[in-house]
Formats: sequence, structure tokens, C-alpha cells
Amino acid sequence: MGAAEVISKTENVSGDAGKAPLIDIRNLRITFPSGGAEPKTVLKGINLSVQPGEIVGLVGESGAGKTTLARSILGVPPAPGRIAAGEVHFEGRQILSLSEAELRRLRGRRLSVVVPNPRAELNPLRKVGDQIASMAKIHLNVSRKEARRMALQMLRDVQIPDPERRMDAYPHELSGGMAQRVVIAMALICNPAFVISDDATSGLDVTVQAQILALLAKLAAEHGSAMLFITRDVGITAHFCDRIAVLFSGEIVEIAPREALFLEPAHPYTLMLLAAFSHSPKLRDSWSVPETARRRELAAGCQYADRCPIAQAVCRTHRPPFAEVSPGHFARCHFPVRHA
Amino acid sequence: MSAVLTIDNLYKRFPIAGSKQVVQAINGVSLTIEPGETLGLVGESGSGKTTVGRCIVGLIEPTAGTIRFRGKDLAQRHQHKSELGGKIQFVFQEPNESLDPRMKIGDTISEPLLPLKYDRETRRRRTADALRLVRLDPDLLDAYPSELSSGQQQRVGIARAMVTEPELVVLDEPTSALDPTARAEIIDLLRRIQRERNTAYLFISHDLSTVRFISHRVAVMYLGMIVEQGSAETVFNRPQHPYSSGLLSSVMLPHPHLKIESTVSLKGEIPSPINLPKGCFLASRCPFVIDRCRHEMPPAETVGERHTVHCFRHSDVAATVPASDTFNVFMKEAERILGRAKPGGLASSLQ
Ligand SMILES: Nc1ncnc2c1ncn2[C@@H]1O[C@H](COP(=O)(O)OP(=O)(O)OP(=O)(O)O)[C@@H](O)[C@H]1O
Ligand SMILES: Nc1ncnc2c1ncn2[C@@H]1O[C@H](COP(=O)(O)OP(=O)(O)O)[C@@H](O)[C@H]1O
Ligand code: SF4
Ligand code: SF4
Ligand SMILES: [Mg+2]
Ligand SMILES: [Mg+2]
Repeated sequence: MGAAEVISKTENVSGDAGKAPLIDIRNLRITFPSGGAEPKTVLKGINLSVQPGEIVGLVGESGAGKTTLARSILGVPPAPGRIAAGEVHFEGRQILSLSEAELRRLRGRRLSVVVPNPRAELNPLRKVGDQIASMAKIHLNVSRKEARRMALQMLRDVQIPDPERRMDAYPHELSGGMAQRVVIAMALICNPAFVISDDATSGLDVTVQAQILALLAKLAAEHGSAMLFITRDVGITAHFCDRIAVLFSGEIVEIAPREALFLEPAHPYTLMLLAAFSHSPKLRDSWSVPETARRRELAAGCQYADRCPIAQAVCRTHRPPFAEVSPGHFARCHFPVRHA
Repeated sequence: MSAVLTIDNLYKRFPIAGSKQVVQAINGVSLTIEPGETLGLVGESGSGKTTVGRCIVGLIEPTAGTIRFRGKDLAQRHQHKSELGGKIQFVFQEPNESLDPRMKIGDTISEPLLPLKYDRETRRRRTADALRLVRLDPDLLDAYPSELSSGQQQRVGIARAMVTEPELVVLDEPTSALDPTARAEIIDLLRRIQRERNTAYLFISHDLSTVRFISHRVAVMYLGMIVEQGSAETVFNRPQHPYSSGLLSSVMLPHPHLKIESTVSLKGEIPSPINLPKGCFLASRCPFVIDRCRHEMPPAETVGERHTVHCFRHSDVAATVPASDTFNVFMKEAERILGRAKPGGLASSLQ
């Protein structure tokens, strides 16, 4: 069938088709056991690759599967989730086939993750300088003294005021913004090639958030690290990411370079999201279907069909292709939106 | 006096257990809200927004200062009980936290009516009205909060607040826990209710884009003080306090070319409200700081109609920060981009 061809040709989406990606996620499916016989599929075949040095944004509503994806890339889907299918290729290895011990060596060193709620990440009984230094000691096999020197430099890099003194502080003595900086320092001290930031700035105030984002971008550029930047705040990605993927209900429905996504969005779901920010009821009405008018979701066809204002009969019967609407810009839609 | 709410020089201190020190949460707040007006209260977390809201609705007692509702001093709240009954209401941030999980939606909504001594029939009618007001399905009266989406839960929170037909509602981050679509729907709802009932709102939020849209006037808080207060248009487009300008320039709108221009970039973080610095509270972070700021507190100065600023250098700030109308430009851009979008042709060879 024609649709299947389109899918296989375009499924492997990457920022620059010519270059080898740094990380390549292929057909990742994650399921959670549910009360019934059929487990619930939370990620429905994710394909995504990130180039060295690239910052890719991942946006989606609460429950779309963002955290599940972040954790699964590291080989540890949130319990009791299960990797039902898929591969994650990173630096010549398939992460999902590595042993627990191999994964542990990789995490924090080549691949690291920054999560929100930094206090939960930090050991309340250990000085933050020691916690940062121990990352370097474990992974890089450096001396205690060298590890402390690196930790202090990291605290400077994340712009913590009075870093010498803060080496000896306990987590409860730090503000939320400072604790988040410490967690970033821990994530970056081993100079990882790939950093996943999962809602890492959501608990912070906008003025601090702006500082932390600038810092992440600067450190990523200096270290040549690539980043998957996960957020519910679509606005951030418009200023911070090279490419953006939109996740809806466990599926990437659109991916595009930043300018294209915001200036020429192609998937009706993306248009609905952007319309929500416009504060124009008229625009919102034209890109959404009232809750009461929604039909029940159909297993076949497009997952968004019951909420899509431009759905046609074919949408309910056939799974839409991942159509390339312009170079590097894809939308999983039978009728991708055009901008006249 | 026509204002619904007048706050004069409000202070609130919290004692710290096992210590002689206190948290200086509110440090001389004055504000007014007119009937049918929305005052947006913005500021970083810990700046004291919630504490102001809690003082107004009587959940905590101020340390000093007065709060008047229609001229009546709320310190004597109990003496005015019958006139005040249900006239001031509030809605909290986390919809599921403010709803009792074991209580049916209908009972949750009608609960504020109980102390008002209405008969059963009036209570039933008012509850049904409130439900209609927030466009919730009457079938949900017998549902429990866990059966509702967070957007629906917040509608219940609003219905519960509106059931007594209040003149003033304190909304503390009512949309922060919601996804963009649910948030937009709640904002529409609040605006519609205000138009229909002339309700005044104190709208507390750190979502500046929503505050710009919903507020008539805006008050910017920093370390328990309102550093600038004025019409939403003036404060957003021509801020005169360095903190207002820095806060605004941190906003990221979903458009790659629209950034709010500011010459102010705030360093570091909000100091602790336990040991407040001497002089201007912003001095440690302020790019405009001069010597005087470090030992003298700038007074409130009136710089325009109902527009006050606490800053020695407000005229320099006004002269350096470019005037901008970025939020409106963004709304026009959104209209341009989304307004002309049309469904394309069938993408695959599938026919
Ligand atoms: N333990 C679990 N059992 C069953 N389903 C789960 C479990 N944990 C998560 N899920 C489901 O997986 C989906 C994705 O959850 P996930 O936490 O990845 O979302 P998210 O996009 O990170 O949301 P948020 O923005 O709220 O962080 C949701 O539908 C959620 O209900
Ligand atoms: N019950 C309390 N006891 C002690 N300190 C409090 C209490 N409530 C608030 N505070 C403190 O008062 C300050 C202002 O808090 P809050 O009003 O919640 O700010 P916001 O709502 O702007 O985030 C903070 O420093 C906070 O820690
Ligand atoms: S495939 Fe059809 S239903 Fe799905 S988003 Fe596109 S137009 Fe809407
Ligand atoms: S008074 Fe001084 S420190 Fe305070 S905001 Fe104005 S310039 Fe900055
Ligand atoms: Mg998450
Ligand atoms: Mg608060």
C-alpha cells in the first residue's frame, strides 16, 4: 500500500540526513500492564535521532509520554513499564541490549539526565561538593583531589555564587535555583555527549529559568554535547531548540526545524496547541473540536481523529503517513496543513 | 469610596520555630481593586503573592496594616459576618488539592452556601446555576473529583467560589497546573463570568502572558513589596522598575522571532526573606544600582494615573528600556499564521 511506502521511506527522521546521528531511537514501544489482558501502549513506535551538538525539543501535554521516553532512552522505563520493541543506538552500541552494569557505566558519563525537583535527586546528608565530585571519581577514575577540583570548576560554570563555600553546603541550605544548578553540575561534570533535560526548569522562576537555559546552552556548546530538551512549555522551545518534536498520546505527530514548526505548523494538533497561546477564541474554535462533539477514538486510522477539526473519512480508517511537508519537516497526517 | 478592596501598608511576619528570627513575607503592601476589575499579581515564587491572598480571604491574620472590603475593616471580619457572607471567595492552584476526594462534586460546590442559611431549594438552584456558569454537565453533580480531568476539576473549584455570588475572588495560580488548552478555556470562563457578574479578581500568577491578557491592572511583587503597580498596558509596555523589566524579558513566547527587549538582565536569585537587606531589596541583583540604593529604601512614587514605582532611578529605567508591545504583536502574529492555514491535499498515494 502507498501509505506504508511513505512511512518506511521517511520514518527515520534526523536533523541532517547526511550525517551519522549521535543517538538514534528506532521504533521504540513502551507498554504498561493494565487491568485487562492487553497492556497499555504508552509510546507507540518512536523514531527520533539527534545530531552531535544539536538541541532537540520535545513538547507535549501532561501524560503524552515525555518522561517515559526520557527514562526509556536510558534503558530504565518507569516501573512497571516494559520495553516492548525498539532500539536505541548511541556511540556504536544498542543501549537497550546492554547489561545493567554496562548501563550504569554509561549513565552519568556519556549520557545524562537532568530532572525537575532537584532536592529529590540530591542526598540530603552529603555536602554538594562531594556529591558532584563523586560523579567524576566513579566515572572518570580520577583522584579525589582532581575530582574536587573539577567539582569546584563545575560550580563556577553553573554560576553558583561563592562556589568555594558552597562546596561544603548541604542541599537544604540551597534555594531551588541553586539546587537545580548543582544537579546540572552533576549531570555535566563527566562531559557527556548527550544530555536529556526532563522538565528541568519547570519549578524555577522565569528570571532564574532564563539564566539556567542560557547556561545549559552555553555548556552544551562548549562541551559539544547534544541535548533532548523535554518541556511542557512550548514557548521555551521556540527560543532554545534547533528542532522540535511534538508528542501526542505516545506518538511524534510533527517534527520540524524551529522556524518551520512555529511559522508553518503542519499538524492540526500543533495548530491547536499554538492557538491556545493566541488568546483568540476564534482561532481556538477553528483548530479544536468541543469536548461534547468528539467521537470515540478508533483503533485504526489517526489517533487525533476524534479531536481534529479537519478529519475526513480516511482519517478514521487508515493510519496517516509521516509526510515530509518541506525538507526535514514531517507531520503524521493525511492532510497536512498548508500556509498559503 | 468605590473600591471593592483597599489594602493599606500590609505586613505579615511568620515566626520560625526554635528561632528568634522571623520570615518577613509581606513588607508594606498597598493596593486597590475596583468593582469588575482584574488586578494581576505577579512575581517570583516566595515573593509573597499567596500570603497576600490568604490575608484577604482571612485564612491568616496580618501582622500590621488594614484590609478593607467596601470600606469595612476586615480585622473585624466577625462583626460584619452577615454583610460579608460569601462576598469574598478564593480558588487555589492545584484543583485536586482544594477538592475533597470523598465528597461528591455537587456537595463540594454547594458547601460555601451552608453557613449562609439559605433554604434547601435556594441552595439547589444556586448550585445548578454555578454548574451552568462553568459549563459543566449536570450529570457530574454525583461524580467524585478523581473521575474528572484537571480542567474539569478547576471548573468545579471556580463553581464553588462563584456559588455565593462573590464581589471579589482571589485566584491563586488557577491555571498553572493545566495544559494550554484547558488553561485557555478557564481564562475564557473567568472573563465571561466577570462580564456577566461584574466580579472583581485578584489574579495571582507567574504566567505573564495570561496576566497580560486577563488583567486591567498589574502589581509586580518582589520580596513582599509591590515594586510597581499600574495599568497592564503601562507596566507591560513601558515598565519603570528594573525588576518589572527583567521579569518581562524572561518571558518566552511561542514564536522564534519575538523576544521581549530589555536592557535589564537580573543576576542571581531572590534573597532570603529572613534577613532582608538594608535599602532597596533589589540592590544585589539590579543593573541600575547606585550607592544610595544600598542604605535607603526607595519610596513609592506616583509616575502616572494609578501608576506607582519604588525605585530611585525610575526615570532612567524608563529612558533606557525600549517601549514594546510584544504580547500584542505576538497575538497578531498568531492570527496571521493560524488564520490563513488551510488543510492540504491528501499526503499519500492512498485514495
Ligand atoms: N506506573 C504506571 N502505570 C500505568 N501507566 C502509567 C504509569 N506511569 C505512567 N503511565 C502512563 O504513561 C503515560 C505517559 O506518562 P509520562 O509520565 O511519560 O508523561 P509525561 O509526558 O512525562 O507527562 P508530564 O508532563 O505530566 O510529566 C501516561 O498516560 C501515564 O498515565
Ligand atoms: N505559614 C508560613 N510559615 C512560615 N513562612 C511562610 C508561611 N507561609 C509563607 N511563608 C513564607 O513567606 C514568603 C512568601 O510566601 P508566599 O506568599 O507563598 O509566596 P508566593 O505565593 O509569591 O510564592 C516565603 O518566604 C514563604 O516561605
Ligand atoms: S490524519 Fe486526519 S484526523 Fe489525523 S490529524 Fe490529519 S487530518 Fe486530522
Ligand atoms: S532603587 Fe536602586 S537598586 Fe532599587 S531598583 Fe531602583 S536602581 Fe535598582
Ligand atoms: Mg514528565
Ligand atoms: Mg504562591
